[in-house]
Amino acid sequence: MADGCNSCKGLCGGKGLTTMKEGAWTNNPLAIQVLGICSALAVTNKLMNSLVMGVALIFVCVGSNLLVSLLRKHTPHRIRMIAEVAIIATFVILFDQFLRAFYWDMSKQLGPYVGLIITNCIVMGRAEAFALQNPPILSILDGIANGVGYAVILAIIGFFRELLGTGQIMGYEVLSSSWYTPNQLMVLAPGAFIALGFVIAVFNVLKGPDPEENK
Amino acid sequence: MKGNAYTLIYALLLGTACALLLTAASEFTKPYRVANAEAEETFNILKVLGIPFEEGTDAAGLLAISKENVKEKKSGDVTLYEYALAGGKVIAVALPFEGQGLWGPIKGFLALEPDMRTIKGVTFYQQEETPGLGGEISTESFTTLFSGKSIINELGQPGISIKAGAGNDVNGVDVISGATMTCDKVQEMINEAVVKIVDTE
Repeated sequence: MADGCNSCKGLCGGKGLTTMKEGAWTNNPLAIQVLGICSALAVTNKLMNSLVMGVALIFVCVGSNLLVSLLRKHTPHRIRMIAEVAIIATFVILFDQFLRAFYWDMSKQLGPYVGLIITNCIVMGRAEAFALQNPPILSILDGIANGVGYAVILAIIGFFRELLGTGQIMGYEVLSSSWYTPNQLMVLAPGAFIALGFVIAVFNVLKGPDPEENK
Repeated sequence: MKGNAYTLIYALLLGTACALLLTAASEFTKPYRVANAEAEETFNILKVLGIPFEEGTDAAGLLAISKENVKEKKSGDVTLYEYALAGGKVIAVALPFEGQGLWGPIKGFLALEPDMRTIKGVTFYQQEETPGLGGEISTESFTTLFSGKSIINELGQPGISIKAGAGNDVNGVDVISGATMTCDKVQEMINEAVVKIVDTE
């Protein structure tokens, strides 16, 4: 009951909007907090892989945030982290099984990285920092915002790496091979670091300086 | 305040709930996953035996082509996959091999010419080796090195060798730089399979 009232008041009072904005923009998990880098570097050599990985993270983030938030008043403080990991792992394995059953090729391409979402700091971080203190609806919003914040950055990196690395987008030739020599570096790991660095730099220029930092 | 008993019961309940959910999901997706794995295996048998099929053929189509062209043959405890034309002329025979790689299990097929001595091709359809190093075993630039090699060395002993500079030996394939461990293990698992069929002849 109390949950319902709080979240409603929160939403009407613009708390929902603030949460969304913070997760996806001012406190973007990848570009500002620089979390979840491992997967962001590993699976972004193709746009399609990046998109699927983004969807996976949104699903896991929303699901685990919701459950952690629902259980927050019943979870013993001492074992809260174990409980969070158990919940996160459950959602990750569910998604992994789904991919293995219905999108076999994608599952093969992403390899171990779907399973590794269990250890993604973004998911655990949101459960610990947000869902544990906030009502379910707000927590879902926070999960969506952070998931989208991650997915969009991943998609941007994936777009440029596939475009420059293979001359293609989603497997369709965009830069004709008659004049464009694919830059293999972009497909390999160093290209991921370079692309991520550029994206973080541009993101921070667009966002502008953090007002709190200048105080 | 929440005591130890409460904590224990909470952990027990949460754990059970998660386990039940995952078991249910796993049971539900099992037939699909098994079918995928089978299709993958069939695809690789067809590929390594050089049986023509259109790209993008679905699982059912692959199985049909395989049924028509490939005969399973037991040789000792090894299952061989024989590609024979309608008249009975054998084109190639595929020999499965598997073993532990550097990071995870590796599975593949070795295709032999009808003489059962010369390698027609090789394919690795499951591996989790280091991308860019050991992972290169499934690239064509590595697998084509096997074609035409013999599974018997100059001294008449069964086995191939994957070593630096072995590329000119009758049974040798050049190693991948930086992937010595993976190559050693691949050599070991292929030879394990090879010894079995050479013995049974």
